[in-house]
Amino acid sequence: MKVTAQPADTTLTLLLDGELDASSAVVLDTELNKPELLNYKRVLIDCQKLSYISSAGLGVFISHLQRLQDSNVKLVFYNMQEKVFNVFEILGLDSLMTIVPTEQEAQAA
Amino acid sequence: MPTFRRSVWLLAGATGCWLLLLLGTLSQGRTVLGLPADWPRWLLLLAQGGFAASVFLYARLQPNPLVGHGFLVVLRRLFWRGLVLTGLLVGVQTFVQLTAAHALPLPGDSTATVGYTISLALFIILLAQTLYVWRSLVSFRGSSRLQREWTAFELLLGVALLFQLFVWNAPDFVRVAVITGLGLFGVYLSGHQRWVAYLSQGQKLQAILLQLGVLGFLLLFLFYLRGAQTNPVLLAPPTQQAFLVLTSFFAVFYAVAGLAVTLFNLPIADVYEQRRAEILSLQQLSQIIQRGQTAAEIYQALFTSAVQTIHADTAWLCVQSQRADVASPQPAPMPVLTHELASADLAALQTQVPALLAGKQDEIVDNDLLRSQRLTGLSQPFGSVAVLPLHSATHHYGVLVLLKKEQAGFDPEDLSILHTFTTQTVLSLENLQLAQEARISQSAQDELRIAALVQERLIPKHLPTDNWFEISTYAQAAKEVGGDFYDFLHLPGQRLAVLIGDVSGKGVTAAFHTAQMKGIFHALMQPNPLAKKDRDRYPDPQRFMMKANEALTHCLERSSFITAAFYLIDYEAGGFSFARAGHCHTLYYHSIKEEVSYFRSEGLGLGILRDGSYGRHVKNQFWDYNPGDVMVVYTDGILEARNAEGDEYGEERLAQMLSESFYQSAEEINRHIRHDVQEFSKGLPLHDDQTLLVIKFKAAQPQS
Repeated sequence: MKVTAQPADTTLTLLLDGELDASSAVVLDTELNKPELLNYKRVLIDCQKLSYISSAGLGVFISHLQRLQDSNVKLVFYNMQEKVFNVFEILGLDSLMTIVPTEQEAQAA
Repeated sequence: MPTFRRSVWLLAGATGCWLLLLLGTLSQGRTVLGLPADWPRWLLLLAQGGFAASVFLYARLQPNPLVGHGFLVVLRRLFWRGLVLTGLLVGVQTFVQLTAAHALPLPGDSTATVGYTISLALFIILLAQTLYVWRSLVSFRGSSRLQREWTAFELLLGVALLFQLFVWNAPDFVRVAVITGLGLFGVYLSGHQRWVAYLSQGQKLQAILLQLGVLGFLLLFLFYLRGAQTNPVLLAPPTQQAFLVLTSFFAVFYAVAGLAVTLFNLPIADVYEQRRAEILSLQQLSQIIQRGQTAAEIYQALFTSAVQTIHADTAWLCVQSQRADVASPQPAPMPVLTHELASADLAALQTQVPALLAGKQDEIVDNDLLRSQRLTGLSQPFGSVAVLPLHSATHHYGVLVLLKKEQAGFDPEDLSILHTFTTQTVLSLENLQLAQEARISQSAQDELRIAALVQERLIPKHLPTDNWFEISTYAQAAKEVGGDFYDFLHLPGQRLAVLIGDVSGKGVTAAFHTAQMKGIFHALMQPNPLAKKDRDRYPDPQRFMMKANEALTHCLERSSFITAAFYLIDYEAGGFSFARAGHCHTLYYHSIKEEVSYFRSEGLGLGILRDGSYGRHVKNQFWDYNPGDVMVVYTDGILEARNAEGDEYGEERLAQMLSESFYQSAEEINRHIRHDVQEFSKGLPLHDDQTLLVIKFKAAQPQS
């Protein structure tokens, strides 16, 4: 699992590459924990290369959800594979998080 | 015991030969005890040779004196024997002199003759004793070739013994050649002085004295016999010259060579001793390791060994903090190990040594500290310092600092032994830690086993039974304890509450929350006495989820969540209400439509929203069932079971299994599905906990 951060103006894009499980969740958590994250208007998560997400991986997003909302930072997922989207959907996270098909929509969100 | 019998025979032979020699010598020029006078010369020589041969063979038969004794014990014993024999010689000769003082002794004087014969016997005994002690020293740690050479030497000595008997007409040059050759052989054998190296300095001094004593005794005897040979008073036969000369030569030469070797070894004895001290220290270190003691003891052993072996004037062992990754309930306080170190100097070292090392991994030696000034502010002018870091590939344990007043105090040998010490110490510290970790993990294993037992007790053992439904359950944890849970509760009025769920994460933490969910379930399903209508006595599914979410808010860690599905089945109404909180969709067989499908409904997992807005994300659903309908409730461990190719089992295959088996009993349907799941991921370890409940509704009338 690789996390690549691409800061641009008011938007931070995180590219996730690989399987997000209990061991790689730590890497993502460190990234999301950075205080400068709250300076952005939106944090976009590019899920194109995210092939699997475990409950620990979901837990990382869940634990940061409130903090980002409180600081008015929008968390947007895009390019999500169907299998990964199903996991979000079953847990009911699709009603709580913004998941859009393309980058353009993510930028507009 | 043949050896014992042989030595008795040899002793008897020696005594007989000696008596024969005495009588024969006395018989020269007169009759003794009525025997004929003037025995033939060959008989006397034979008696003499027989006596010498018996005494030497007897000494040869004795066990190796070195077995079970030290070199000094053997030498001391030889010295005392030599002293006794020499004392006897002096006593006998004094007696002869005293008796002869009254009158001018005549040739053939019997007292002098007896005295001479006794003295000759004493000399031969001393020679035999000495020769065989020398043999044990020569052959100490010797090769088998050396053993053979020694046997050859003995054989040649035996031949020399026969010279006087048979070859007395041999030309002189043969005799000279043989004797010279044997002499050189003896010189060669005298070169084997290995034993000297095994003596300490004090022992070497003692050995020199003892060897000098033995040498003195031998020379005294030789001096006497040389005089006796030319004494006109004696009418004795000539001695077996060649044999005695050769044996004496070897005995004396070996003693002289040994003396020389010991003497030359004296100045370097301390080197041997230091080596020995190093070996002993190493042994001590490894013994402490084997006893599996504490780290403090290992540090102490290293410190003591290093200071003693290197003779450091001042030393300090700085022990770094304990390894953080080893959970130790009470870290033992590490003693500050110092040797002759003033507290002001300790402070100076504490500030300067880290800078000296500056992250380097290797030891640092400064043999000219006065000039380099690498350490300053010390109370004494130290000439040299050695700084040895203790570290393994992964961890830094501490630093050993040794100081000497003299310059050039640490040579490469010192460093190599210190290096061995520190390596050994680090090795034993690592071992100790491994052992501790093994103990901790063992106790953790035990705890886990207990936790598994506790969790096992939480699983409902007695499934609710009634004639309007059938239930079958299956649960398998991936590890000792799992994060899946399910429970049932029979409520009054033909109602059944069913709960299934999955705590995110695995292991003990997850297992704790399953127990908590069980508690929440039973607490929430208590009848509400204030409820007006019977239907309102128990919370509906949506309310149940809201209450559960609220209860979990305060105790579930932020990154954890729980998925659950709750069903409240009512037989009288012929239907059930349910709510899904992020849990897997319920699989359902509709007996009228003859169709297998999933209830796809919305619903957020528990513990995700904690601000009271959760109620908006979970809904009540209602369903009227018909007899023959089958409900399959499960956790994601079933859907996400993987095969060798990494494919997931999936909803489709699960639905397929139900459509193949819906007509069977709940137990048979359950078995059909789980066999297929197991077949799917055959040979692979369980990836996640798996739970599977099958509920089949029946047509039978409830008992009223």
